[in-house]
Amino acid sequence: MTPRLGVAVKKLAVYVILIAICLMIFIPLLITLFASFKTSMEIGSEFSLKPPGSFDFDNYSVVLEKGKFLQGFGNSMFLVAVSVVINALLGTMTAYAINRFDFRLKKIILGLFVAGMIMPGMITEISRFTVIKNLGLYNTIWAPIVIYAAANLVQLYIYTQFINGIPKELDESAMLDGCSYFAVFNKMIFPLLLPATATLGIIKAVDVMNDMYVPYLYMPSSTLRTLTTTLMYFSSSKFGSWDYLSAAIILVMLPTLVIYLLFSKYIFKGIVAGAVKG
Amino acid sequence: MQRNILLFSFLFVPVLLLLMFVLYPLFELIRLSFTDWNGMDAKQVYIGFDNYMKMFTDSSDVWLSLRNNGFYFLFHLIMIPLELAVAVVLDSKIRANKFFKTVVFMPYIINGVAISYMFAFFYSPINGGLNGILEVLGLESLIQNWLTDESIVNLSLVFVSIWRFSGFHIILFLAGLQSIPQDQFEAAKIDGASSIQNFWYIIVPGVKKVLEVLLFLNVVGALQVFDIPYIMTQGGPGHASSTFTLYTLETAFKFNNFGMASAMGITMLVLIIVLNSVQKRLFNLKGVDEE
Repeated sequence: MTPRLGVAVKKLAVYVILIAICLMIFIPLLITLFASFKTSMEIGSEFSLKPPGSFDFDNYSVVLEKGKFLQGFGNSMFLVAVSVVINALLGTMTAYAINRFDFRLKKIILGLFVAGMIMPGMITEISRFTVIKNLGLYNTIWAPIVIYAAANLVQLYIYTQFINGIPKELDESAMLDGCSYFAVFNKMIFPLLLPATATLGIIKAVDVMNDMYVPYLYMPSSTLRTLTTTLMYFSSSKFGSWDYLSAAIILVMLPTLVIYLLFSKYIFKGIVAGAVKG
Repeated sequence: MQRNILLFSFLFVPVLLLLMFVLYPLFELIRLSFTDWNGMDAKQVYIGFDNYMKMFTDSSDVWLSLRNNGFYFLFHLIMIPLELAVAVVLDSKIRANKFFKTVVFMPYIINGVAISYMFAFFYSPINGGLNGILEVLGLESLIQNWLTDESIVNLSLVFVSIWRFSGFHIILFLAGLQSIPQDQFEAAKIDGASSIQNFWYIIVPGVKKVLEVLLFLNVVGALQVFDIPYIMTQGGPGHASSTFTLYTLETAFKFNNFGMASAMGITMLVLIIVLNSVQKRLFNLKGVDEE
């Protein structure tokens, strides 16, 4: 084999492997997408990778009507909006206080955040459940909100990294011009952190949209179902045959997929910043 | 003065939230693990280490569940070198690498519950996608009851987990690769290094930090596997595909045994800390000569 042919064969092999990986990712998704347009008869009799004969949205309209997916979408969006705003505010404020000031409790507070990070989240639900109940938050939309707001060290870490990149001299010159600490934060730090906030906000949005256990455990009420818990309810109800269920699955995947395809650059950035330097 | 007001007003809420919803629950969990609380009665009797004793001596399902966590740990561990290889390929100048990156990472972004139902459909014995594909390929002999056969159900579920998380690992490796200075490769090229030498002497040490993060995430992730088995099999058949978290939450919220469940929760926390530090030590022993 000539060297050039060897290189070509190698290259071909690389593409074959990459395409195989893509197929592995796409095939289950395609099967579900196709099934969402088929009748249950067709699902029963046709090869699963055969495209649907027609693209009618019957299954989708049944799911949207009977499954109350729009209500779930609304609740999810509310949770996303509130959590993203609270996280942006608390995250930037905490990072500013911790990065720019030295104070006695600093080490302890940082230690608290780290401890919060190691905690296996789901397991603490056993004792957190009582806390939420005693505060009267059980079965209200505020239960997930306080939990999502509570611990997010990764986020704090990324914010601190970004603040480090803002020269301290900027703060000082603003102070010389008569700015208070609050004004420095409002007029300079917060706006300069907006790119980081955008990245973190998108990641938070995806996390909240996809979270299952917190809404499932703390908001059993049928009017408080999120997109995810609506899917769980729908699948266990009498509508849960594969034709409808496939449409429901696609509906639940769609919002985060759209976010992802629009903002994948920022999502990569945030995840990379959170994990590699940590 | 102004400084103290700022510190107080900026840190009060975050720290309060942290104390109330993360740290207080942790201490409660430790305390409850020594009681026989059923989650409802006001009465909580302290019973010492009974829950822990019972868990290790009298509950074979705990061990079965832990073994299942072991499956997830092992298979994800095996995947790590392959994920690194794919990342190296995607980092090279190949055509459409942006497209491949976007596709590979996509499963990580998709709703986990939706993924679980999707694969329940894929594995379904009646006209499920997988058996259908095997039939078309003439591989009928491989057709299985993917989710109801005790001997195979865990493998089926582990595959879903790999499907979901491998892309995330690949993206982390890519980030690590991009942090390796290019001149190292140029110097190696001048010295006539082979691509295998490049791999061992530049790439592997270059992504050491990512490897460390991944090994940590693998321990935590494998011990906490929950939604895939919960949605797809409810831990069944029997407890064949149960995991430690699934069993713990079942113990608490289904069987109202909060004391026992708390003891299991604390055990998991200890396991995470111990396994991670063992792994870190092994990793550093091996890594010394690479520095």
